[in-house]
Amino acid sequence: MKKKGIIFSGIAAIVIIAIIASISVSQSVNESLNLDMGQTHGTVSTAMGSPILGSDSAPITIIEFGDYQCHQCYNWFHNTRDSVVENYIETGKANLVFVDLAFLGRDSPKAAAATYCAEEQGKYWEFHDLLYTSQEGIDSGWANSERLKAFAFSLGLDMELFDSCIDSGKFNKRVQFNINEAKKQGASATPTFIIVNSNGQQQKLVGAQPYAVFKDVIDSMI
Amino acid sequence: MAQMIKLVFADYRYIILAVAIFVGMLIPLSIISEFIFLEPYVIAHIPSGGEISFFLILVVSALSGLVLAMNVYRINAFRNSPKKKMGGGLFGSLIGAAAGACSCGPIGFAVISTFGAAGGIATAFLANYEIPIRLVAIAILAYTYYATVKSLAVECKINT
Repeated sequence: MKKKGIIFSGIAAIVIIAIIASISVSQSVNESLNLDMGQTHGTVSTAMGSPILGSDSAPITIIEFGDYQCHQCYNWFHNTRDSVVENYIETGKANLVFVDLAFLGRDSPKAAAATYCAEEQGKYWEFHDLLYTSQEGIDSGWANSERLKAFAFSLGLDMELFDSCIDSGKFNKRVQFNINEAKKQGASATPTFIIVNSNGQQQKLVGAQPYAVFKDVIDSMI
Repeated sequence: MAQMIKLVFADYRYIILAVAIFVGMLIPLSIISEFIFLEPYVIAHIPSGGEISFFLILVVSALSGLVLAMNVYRINAFRNSPKKKMGGGLFGSLIGAAAGACSCGPIGFAVISTFGAAGGIATAFLANYEIPIRLVAIAILAYTYYATVKSLAVECKINT
C-alpha cells in the first residue's frame, strides 16, 4: 500500500512538473512571438519583420529589405530616409516595415537578431537607428555580440534580459524567416524596397535611390 | 609626355577608342556602385559621402582609356613591341573595376550565395577596402602610363 502511494505520488509529481513546464514554454513562445502571423503587405509577409513605423492605417507601406552591415543601406538611411519619414510617414501617408536580408557577413544575422531583443523592451527603432549610425566595415567587429550589448547598454535597456536574449539565439529563426521572405520576393541586393498601396499595387525599387525617386513612386501610388 | 599624347591622338581612331573605354568603364562602374540607377527610370545620383568614391571611378576610367588606347597605338605602330605594358593597364583597370563590385548589390549577393563564407570574405574585403584598392589601381595605371610614354619615346626616337 505504501509502495503504491509512493508510485502514485511520483506520477502525480511528474504530471504536475510537465503541466508547469508546458505552461512556461507556451508563455515564452507567446513572449518571443507576440506577432500577427498573418500580417502581409501586398504579397510580402511582414509578420516577422520590424514593428510598423508610422500609422498602421497609412495607405502606402514601404517594405525595406536591408542588412545592418550594408553601406548602401547606410547611405539610404543617412541621405533619403529622413525626407521619406518627414514627408510621408509623419504625415500618415505611408508607413515603413524593415525586413532583414542579413547576408553580408557573420555579424549581420546577429545584429538583426539584436534588434528584436531590443523590440522586446520597446526600443526596436532606437536600436535600428543606432546600428545604422554606428556602422563600420563588414565583420570588422563593430556588430559582434559585445558591441551589440554595448549598444543596448547605451540605450538604457535591461541588460540581463538583453544579454540572455542575445546569448540564447532566441530570434535566429525569425531573422532566417525574414531572409527567406526577402529571397522569395526576389530581393538580391540591399537595400531593396517594395512599395505597396491599399489596392495591393506594388512597385520594387533596388538600391539606395534618392528621395526624388521615392517621391515620384509614392505620389503615383497614393 | 604631351608630345606622346599628341602623337597618339593625332589619329582620331585612338580618340574614339579612348572615349569608348572611358565611357565603357565609367557607366558600368557607376551602375555597380549605385551612382546611376536604371529603374524605375534612369537617374544619376552622388550621395553625400560618395564623392571620393565617384571621383576615383572617374580617374580609373580616364586613365584606363588613356593608357589602353596608347598601348594599342604602340602595338599597332611597332609590331615587335612587348605587350607587357598593355597587361599592366588591363590589370590596373581590372583591379579598379573589382573594387567597385559592391557587396550589397546583386553581384555581391550572387558571389556570397554561390561561394558561401569564402565569397563573403572576398566581397567584404572589396567593400571594406574599396578606396585603397582603387588607389592601387590608379597607381598601377599611372605607372603603366609613364612606362608607355617612355617606351614610345624610345621607340619613336623622340626625346621627351
